[in-house]
Amino acid sequence: MNAPIDGIALGIVIVGLALSTFVTRTSFLVAGARGRLHPRIETALRYAPVCTLTAIIVPDVLMHAQHADFSLLNPRLVGVLVSGAWLVFSRNIFGCLALGMVAYSLMRLAQ
Amino acid sequence: MIPKDPERRSAFRAGQRAIVQSLPGAATWGLVSGVAMVKGGLTVPWAVFMSLTVYAGSAQLAALPLIATGMPLWVIVATGLITNLRFVIYSAALRPYFVQERLPKRAALGFFMTDFTFTLFMRAAQEGWLPERHRDAWFAGVCSNNWITWQLSAITGIVAASYVPTDWGLEFTGTLALVALVGPALNARPALVGAVAAGVVALLAHGLPYRLGLFVAAIAGIVAATLADGWNAPRAAAPEQASS
Repeated sequence: MNAPIDGIALGIVIVGLALSTFVTRTSFLVAGARGRLHPRIETALRYAPVCTLTAIIVPDVLMHAQHADFSLLNPRLVGVLVSGAWLVFSRNIFGCLALGMVAYSLMRLAQ
Repeated sequence: MIPKDPERRSAFRAGQRAIVQSLPGAATWGLVSGVAMVKGGLTVPWAVFMSLTVYAGSAQLAALPLIATGMPLWVIVATGLITNLRFVIYSAALRPYFVQERLPKRAALGFFMTDFTFTLFMRAAQEGWLPERHRDAWFAGVCSNNWITWQLSAITGIVAASYVPTDWGLEFTGTLALVALVGPALNARPALVGAVAAGVVALLAHGLPYRLGLFVAAIAGIVAATLADGWNAPRAAAPEQASS
């Protein structure tokens, strides 16, 4: 694992992220183009966030020292499963975060 | 920023009132983003700078674990960009309503648009209570209230988190917030197919250099979801055409 990004490099990353927000949000409003998005492109764009976020979440939760840890002794996995179970019954974000953090913390304390 | 012309000012105020119902949601997101930024390793000034400039909770939360593990800069920015791609659709959907406005105003309305404010605008348009005149002032009111709420709660989270010991593991709230974003979207079958494909590929491709596994996984998911959407299309296409 590399050292966290800091200093000028961090500034560049943040400015880059800000530009990505600006470019995507203003794209069609600024271009003022008559053209519409091709339906297939629009479909792909619609699913991009869910797929990207899942690709971030899954290794973040499961990977431990280059190995996937599917066991229920993995505090992050237990936290996510509890949060996920909550989301099946409720859209309330606060409950999702609170219950997931409680489960995660209990699992960490127990180890 | 508040318009001087009385008619425009009342449209602005009406916009501010219209978003009030979803402000608790914006405040929760802002708070979590603030906490996660500091617990993800950013100092307070950098976290505030990120909140003010990026102003996109999901992209910020997605970037944090990559910043913490020292990924190449382009990987982090590209990840933020993919997470933000949905805004291209929003931007295309808003264009017809603001096409007569001048360029700087269109750019500003676009930049301050978020998931919350876009959803409200489109609902107002579909349900027929979008004002006939001064829509730009109305939407500016919507976006300004959302922006102020989000930033104040993010800064509250940033400051509060800097007093909490790191070993409480609060950085995990960032991951859980992403789960809360993804979870409800999985109701639609193509999204579920895409997420499963992305997750499996992300694990298999985890060893690839430069975090290429992230992109391979995201693209695999997007392709899978688009294909699955195609299979559903004959059923899904009819109501969409009726509304356009």
